[in-house]
Amino acid sequence: MTSPLRPSRRRLFRGALPLATAAGVAAVHPVARAEEGWQPPDGRPHFPARARSVIWLFMNGGVSHLESFDPKPMVTRHAGKSISETPFASVQDPAKLALERAPVPDANGQQRNVLFPLQVGFRPHGQSGIEVSDWFPHVAAQIDRIAVVRSMYTTDSNHGAQTQFHTGRHMLDPVSPTLGGWVHYALGSLNPALPQFISIGTREYWNRRDGHYLGPAHDAVPLRIDPASPLDFGRAERPFPRPAEAVGLDLVATLNGLTARRYPGDAATAARTAAYDLAFRMQASVPEVVDVAAETPETQRLYGLDRPECREFALQLLAARRFVERGVRFVQIQHGGGGAGAWDAHGGLRANHEKLARAVDQPIGALLADLHRRGLLDETIVVFSTEFGRTPGTQGADGRDHHPFGFSVWLAGGGIRGGCVHGATDELGFHAVTDRHYVTDIHATILHLLGLDSRRLELPERKRLAVDHGAAIRAIMA
Amino acid sequence: MPMPRKGCARRGCCSGELRTQPRACGCTGCVWRVLTNALAGLGVLLGGGLAAPRSADCAEGGLDTAAGASSPAATASHSTVRTLLSRRCQACHGGLAKQANLRLDTTAGMLSGGDSGAAVNPGVPAESLLLARVSDPDPARRMPPPGEGEPLSADEVDQIRAWIAAGCPAPPDEQPEADPRDHWAFRPVQRPPLPGPEGGHPIDRFLAAARARAGVGPVAAEAPAEILVRRVYLDLIGMPPKPEDLAAIVTVRADGWYERLVDRLLADPRHAQRWARHWMDVWRYSDWWGLGDQLRNSSPHIWHWRDWIVESLAADVPYDEMVRLMLAADEFHPDDPARLRATGFLARNWFLFNRTPWLDETVEHVGKAFLGLTLNCAKCHDHKYDPVRQTDHYAFRAFFAPYHVRLDAVPGETDTQRDAIPRVFDGEPEAPTFLLVRGDDARPDRDHPIAPGVPALFGVPLPPIEPVPLPPWAHQPERMPWVVEAHLAAAAKRVTAAEAAVAAATDDTRGAAAARLDVERAAAVAIAARAAAMRAAWAAADSPATAESSAAGAAARAAVRAERALAAAQAREAVVVAEQAVAAADDKVADEKGKAAATEKLAAARAAAEKAAAAVAEEGEAYTPLVGARWVPTRFRYSGHDDPPVPFPATSTGRRRALATWITDPRHPLTPRVAVNHLWMRHMGRPLVATVFDFGRKGAAPTSPELLDWLAAELVAGAPGGTPWSLRHIHRLIVTSAAYRMDSSAAGLDAAAEADRDNTLLWRREPVRLEAQVVRDAVLAVAGLLDVSPGGPPVPPDQQAASRRRSLYFTHSEVSRNPFLVVFDDAAVKDCYRREESVVPQQALALSHAALVHEAAAVVAARLSADGVGDPEFVDRAFVTVLCRPAAPAERDACLEALPAWRALPAGDLGGAPPDPARGHLVWALFNHTDFVTVR
Repeated sequence: MTSPLRPSRRRLFRGALPLATAAGVAAVHPVARAEEGWQPPDGRPHFPARARSVIWLFMNGGVSHLESFDPKPMVTRHAGKSISETPFASVQDPAKLALERAPVPDANGQQRNVLFPLQVGFRPHGQSGIEVSDWFPHVAAQIDRIAVVRSMYTTDSNHGAQTQFHTGRHMLDPVSPTLGGWVHYALGSLNPALPQFISIGTREYWNRRDGHYLGPAHDAVPLRIDPASPLDFGRAERPFPRPAEAVGLDLVATLNGLTARRYPGDAATAARTAAYDLAFRMQASVPEVVDVAAETPETQRLYGLDRPECREFALQLLAARRFVERGVRFVQIQHGGGGAGAWDAHGGLRANHEKLARAVDQPIGALLADLHRRGLLDETIVVFSTEFGRTPGTQGADGRDHHPFGFSVWLAGGGIRGGCVHGATDELGFHAVTDRHYVTDIHATILHLLGLDSRRLELPERKRLAVDHGAAIRAIMA
Repeated sequence: MPMPRKGCARRGCCSGELRTQPRACGCTGCVWRVLTNALAGLGVLLGGGLAAPRSADCAEGGLDTAAGASSPAATASHSTVRTLLSRRCQACHGGLAKQANLRLDTTAGMLSGGDSGAAVNPGVPAESLLLARVSDPDPARRMPPPGEGEPLSADEVDQIRAWIAAGCPAPPDEQPEADPRDHWAFRPVQRPPLPGPEGGHPIDRFLAAARARAGVGPVAAEAPAEILVRRVYLDLIGMPPKPEDLAAIVTVRADGWYERLVDRLLADPRHAQRWARHWMDVWRYSDWWGLGDQLRNSSPHIWHWRDWIVESLAADVPYDEMVRLMLAADEFHPDDPARLRATGFLARNWFLFNRTPWLDETVEHVGKAFLGLTLNCAKCHDHKYDPVRQTDHYAFRAFFAPYHVRLDAVPGETDTQRDAIPRVFDGEPEAPTFLLVRGDDARPDRDHPIAPGVPALFGVPLPPIEPVPLPPWAHQPERMPWVVEAHLAAAAKRVTAAEAAVAAATDDTRGAAAARLDVERAAAVAIAARAAAMRAAWAAADSPATAESSAAGAAARAAVRAERALAAAQAREAVVVAEQAVAAADDKVADEKGKAAATEKLAAARAAAEKAAAAVAEEGEAYTPLVGARWVPTRFRYSGHDDPPVPFPATSTGRRRALATWITDPRHPLTPRVAVNHLWMRHMGRPLVATVFDFGRKGAAPTSPELLDWLAAELVAGAPGGTPWSLRHIHRLIVTSAAYRMDSSAAGLDAAAEADRDNTLLWRREPVRLEAQVVRDAVLAVAGLLDVSPGGPPVPPDQQAASRRRSLYFTHSEVSRNPFLVVFDDAAVKDCYRREESVVPQQALALSHAALVHEAAAVVAARLSADGVGDPEFVDRAFVTVLCRPAAPAERDACLEALPAWRALPAGDLGGAPPDPARGHLVWALFNHTDFVTVR
């Protein structure tokens, strides 16, 4: 659909956000900073960027690293034994377990002592020969584009770790912005007619916002894969056809122009005029992006739109590709969100993970292949993440409990070295032991590839610790 | 005024440790300047040989190479080294602390040295201890110590080396860091004399003197009357004037019209609602939230606190009294439910699972809201800027260690889940407070319990902490008379309903209805008997000498009998129900299994009824007392069940009473300054002290220190003959000043703009974007649709679209804020000392698309068109109605062009609502006008 922009509106738009800061947000009265000389980000990277966009896939509930990307034959070999009876008893050394910081003692997040055999087979894939579980064949087919980090740890053994993975802060700490919030705060717009930071999927209450002290303007814009109504207030809630709206917006622009003359230098009015222009374009462009009918049947089949078990996630990922293709910075997709999260397999792990993997595997594999063939993978970082792994020991008859001490995530795309495994857990997949990484190291890696130094984004009145900044993982960079 | 700028030596507190085991520092709100900012700004290289732990797998080398491209060469500059030392070393070796007796804030201090001797040997870097310690490869000897800050970079070490090699050059007039206790905000408020010539508003005299000193002027003239009236309406009552009110005010304007208008608006009930929302920001109002239906944060029925705020402002309850009540109404007025609502301020911090963040937030926000003091920064370490030790943080925490939350019964309600007053009480008077080593809740220092106390820097003594004996209502809440009354009334109501059911019963239902009536009558008797037993027990307890203990025993036995009679009636009813089930099963010929089950149940019911009937005659004194309050259970020990109940002690510790008295001491240097700064910011669009929650040394200096102190003195003293601490007095002072009444246009004021680009000295009025709530309220008010009725439970999310209530009555919690309000920078639930004012496309989408705006526009258009006016008159009316000012000719022309443009559209392209969609669209356009969302 072409936008029925009238000449006067186009003329106005050329002036573009005079006060716009990084994210197309004009804070007219920014909270005064005591720090002299402090300036908000100017929307440019701090150093040359390797990537420009991020697709952030987050599996809520805790994906078992042992049944996805970190095969541990010893778990199967000693299955049925108590960990203390194996040669690896030292993994339960209390000093090592002190890493965990539970908000409250809970029925979950406990030590599970009796080893539970791996519920799925693994086999090597690609040139790299990296082992991936049989539940993720489509991701496995892309493994040479993927850097698997098998040595993640976090400190919360409950699902507050979801927020922690996004912010780097434990649930008991004061809230702080998510990675997407920081990116939105830091980087300018590539396509002002689209929201720059999009959130798709259900988010539980502890993980519902992004901007926090950066301000609500840096919250992700919630998006529905529904061309009829993708955005809150994306279309008029009462009959207001676009021709009538266009006349009205022209009038608003004219009247605001007169006010601008009476109040010279009124930055808010100038910014508001530009914001109306962007809004008018956004309401046309967003439904168009969300409408995947424009894609070829081959592409639709590639993502699995024809398969009911993965159609929902396929629609989301295809829309995500269409957004980054058009210059959106950060698309955050929550899979299985709500409550503890769908992947939270305390019981029936095999059935749970097999089904959920079927829902996400083909769309993710397709996303990587599709980005690659369009030349977009070089500039787009795709992240597959979750809040923690799952215990090597069994919970109940056939489940695994929360496991913060070691788990896996992976990255692919812009600036990432494909086909590599970084870090390792011990023989039981219990503790990350080699090249251990706290969650903020993933943040630092992504920020680095986007050309950003988180220390230069920090607000003077909001001290961040070294652990909040993390350290980029150089070993997985191309 | 330049601030004393002292940085911190110890960067990334506890960073080494935190690399492997992240723990709370609580520093998110900390105002500790970070070295890295400065380094990044200078483009100085980090890392190198002294890199932080884990440099091996750290990619920052690459990152820093890029940043370091512009790295300046090390110089021997004194000022560079002084800046470096003040940032990295001075928090421990300067005015705030003098560890090892060493001060590094002057060259003289370095020369005289500390316990280990001189810190520098001018000209001989190799013999300078300072250089040796900051560059020592052994982390155990290196400064800053591990966990206290990352090592100095190679460049920084080079700078120090070069400066020493150059002989430690220093200017002759080098001044040591000022005594931190002498910081302006920590000194007593002294009412300054009014500057300048006699006459005129005191505020304007202060501003005029400041402008004269800075050479700023001339200033803006008074705003046109229409602009001014709209401004003061929006500011004081949160909605624009109606056209008829505006016309009446603007056309008459007799002497003193403006002051009379201000008085009228300040007395308007809508003023209290408007300003309550401001204070709800500062005091962190939040409705409860949790996972699904599980309460995890804040408290149910916390809206009682919101209503208390509104009512208190309406009555102009003095600010000091409001603070005292919020912190300790349960100790000042333990049997006054109306005042107890104020403690919602503390109940709001309740957290189901863990005491640590609950008390973290309490300390942080009592400090920030009332004192402008960032006590939270001293949770893990001594404060890096202010003279607040880590022990001070925990001493402050100790005031709150005993408190818990409970729900007190309200008249007419028997169920605290439906309604009750959330309030605090000292449920664990013996709860100890331990310093958490590095803020880590897993590392309490149990050997040194910390007693309640306040930082000793303000010259205001903490009153003695004396236990508060509580009246019976407070610790026996069932004695509140409405508890028994509510239960009796509810029982009587149920009896009446049951009687009506019997009267209306058919042959089929009569048996069951009669059985139910028996139950309800027995229940009413039991309630009365339990109430009588409780009264007898109280009488016995109150005057043990005179009361007949046998009376209490007899009443208790009667209550037990009544309860057993009720149980018997319930058992008989169960028999009737079971009999009917058997009869129903008999009707179904085929269902043998069902028949057997029903018969079996009937037999069981009969047996139970016999047993219950027999039990009535048994003696006993253990009846079920009525409940007047319920502790809000915590789950600190285990997430799956409640902790052991916390009782309601007969004595409160008196800790919070002492703290509240200290905070509201008229001599307190911070309390009144912080309060008037909040008022000033919300009236004038910007604060006098930019860091509204931090009046410490890292905060901003006041733009007009004398004005701030004068306002603070006025707040404490009150108007002549008026009430001390009256907020209304300060409101009136500010809005009647010429500064408040100025035009907001900078046109023709180039000289002032040149001298004071940021309008710091208010040479013109600062335009302000309406807060989220006011945007919505104003849309509805203009259409005459706004419902200003006060109080009550919040409007839940699913009812908000249709609701016309004022926005402050919408549910406002971490998980539930209204989407329209959120777009306009609604208050952050966790922390909102100042609203953001962003301009984003989502605001345009909301204002141009929300049903709210379209419906209001249609209503306004229809109303203004009712008498059949032509377009020009309609346009004029629409301007005055929506924007409260007449249309300028060019504006009128633009509107008169747009109306026919709409009407020329094909019907399908016009939309809108009858009778005249084009006029509705015109009003819509004015709602989207930048002047609508702006206080000009």
